[in-house]
Amino acid sequence: MNNTMSMKKMERITSIIKFLILLIFGVVLMAPFIWMVSVGFDRTANISMPFPPRLIPEEPSKFNYGIVFENGRLIKSYINSTIVTVSSVVLGVSASLLAGYAFSKGKFKGKKILFIVVLCTLMIPMEPRLIPLYTLFNKMNLLNTYYPLVLPSIISGMLIFLCKQFFDQLPDTLREAAQIDGAGEFKIFFSVYLPLAGPIAATMVILAFIWSWNDFMWPLVVLNDLELQTVPLYLASFSLENGSSLGGLTMALATVSILPIVILYLFLQRYIIQSIALSGVKGE
Amino acid sequence: MANNSVEAANTTTQSVNTNTHTESKTMKKKKRSSQWTWYIFLIPSFLGILLFMVYPIAESLRLSFFKSNGTIETFTGLANFRTVLTSGPFWNSVWNTFYIGIFQILITIPLGFIFATLINSVSKGKNFFKVLYFLPNVTSIVAAAMIFQFVLHPEMGILNYILGSLGLPTPGWFSDPATSKWGVILLAVWHWIGFVIIICLANLQAISSEMYEAAKIDGASGFQQWLFITIPNMTGTFAFLLITGWIGALQRFNEVYVVGGPNGSPARSIQTMGAFIYERGFTGFEFGIASAATYIMFIIILIFTFINLKVSKMKI
Repeated sequence: MNNTMSMKKMERITSIIKFLILLIFGVVLMAPFIWMVSVGFDRTANISMPFPPRLIPEEPSKFNYGIVFENGRLIKSYINSTIVTVSSVVLGVSASLLAGYAFSKGKFKGKKILFIVVLCTLMIPMEPRLIPLYTLFNKMNLLNTYYPLVLPSIISGMLIFLCKQFFDQLPDTLREAAQIDGAGEFKIFFSVYLPLAGPIAATMVILAFIWSWNDFMWPLVVLNDLELQTVPLYLASFSLENGSSLGGLTMALATVSILPIVILYLFLQRYIIQSIALSGVKGE
Repeated sequence: MANNSVEAANTTTQSVNTNTHTESKTMKKKKRSSQWTWYIFLIPSFLGILLFMVYPIAESLRLSFFKSNGTIETFTGLANFRTVLTSGPFWNSVWNTFYIGIFQILITIPLGFIFATLINSVSKGKNFFKVLYFLPNVTSIVAAAMIFQFVLHPEMGILNYILGSLGLPTPGWFSDPATSKWGVILLAVWHWIGFVIIICLANLQAISSEMYEAAKIDGASGFQQWLFITIPNMTGTFAFLLITGWIGALQRFNEVYVVGGPNGSPARSIQTMGAFIYERGFTGFEFGIASAATYIMFIIILIFTFINLKVSKMKI
């Protein structure tokens, strides 16, 4: 009796210790964010960063945030990023749903080889494609437009793969029933399978959104026009110009640029985490 | 397509007992035409593959044998490859890429795994910790690099403040070529650990609880269960993280560009392979040399992925 009591006690203590370790490390991970928000409210940080670091600025002021909004370039880059990302997601997810479905339910010659080709695209990094794609869009006179950022999103091996895996789990009997009713392949896809694809479509949208929103190297190559800068491009150009000076302004800018994504994440966290986990588990 | 459905409708309106012969004939015809329908499903994706994957990969190979600035081209054979392979800055960028990658992976995978098991074992706040730990990964690496330039500021950053108040040495981080790579490693660990934790958690939850119950009956302690059941069951996950981690690490560009620009300052100490290619291609407009460098990088990635696959297969 006594033994089990002390065992229980031990278990309680270890679980409290575990909880504390997680809490402390969580604070460590969050420290850059917390500090970022705090320095953003510190007007004097533009001349010299507050030292020793403090959580609450000596004279809290909205000055830095005011400048970020007055300047307008962040908001402009937000609009640009939104246009590019939404178009990329629509294009990439639609094409991948069609292809994923065909690879799952289709019966046609060369299916296996074509699917291997799709899997091979997963291995191809951006760098070897950078220069030819740049000259291609240059020849089409499309540099400094949204097209080079959006069009290549049409192909995503990962999305096709995830989509195929999902349709594989849906029974073929649905198709057969619709076929007997005389429906063609497109009708079967759009009226039978697509309505069932909600969960995987949501995952695909989330993944494509994250990729497109954070895309950096390719936009950096094709966009010189400041008017068209996406959020990461604007942040990078600001950071490269100012280095580690103008701390207050930099932190305010970082805060405003991160905040909408963080809010979106907090609302959709369950789905986002599930999508990431799925891409990892299936990726194995 | 419309034809098809009319045909199908006809066959169904015909009474079944009239003639089975024509029915089987139309079925056959239908099968053949529906083969073509499937290719239509694939057109958008394969148009993309041809235009944005196959063409640039082939064109890049061709370019690597030419001296080119985008308009004027002269064939130079293997000269570009020779230039790249004997270039000090290129091998320096390879070294930087691997150095940052090795330590990022060596630190993040075990640490992430430990935190994943901790999160998995607490009874309260599981979801809270999951969401919290994944937050850095949601923020773009560009914004993160921007913040870290201040977090790791040699005189006024929080990290050196903490190190200093503990009586530990305070490195110069991004301002000193000797420590700048470690600045990037810290940033990379901070940014990637959430991903590692989420992947580990998903796979931890897939291990059957029966195994743990059997071990408990045999009197195995919590730590023993972790050592002999959890870890062996996670080798597949580790392999996956190792491979995706390396592929990502070998392509590192965004954060080093934000911190050190295209030449990876200070003193090229954080210029990665990606940054080398960007510098040669888009600040120097030496397309031939940059193309040769991308091919060498591509081959390095392929070989390394292959080695990773082999190594991780041996473990499983």
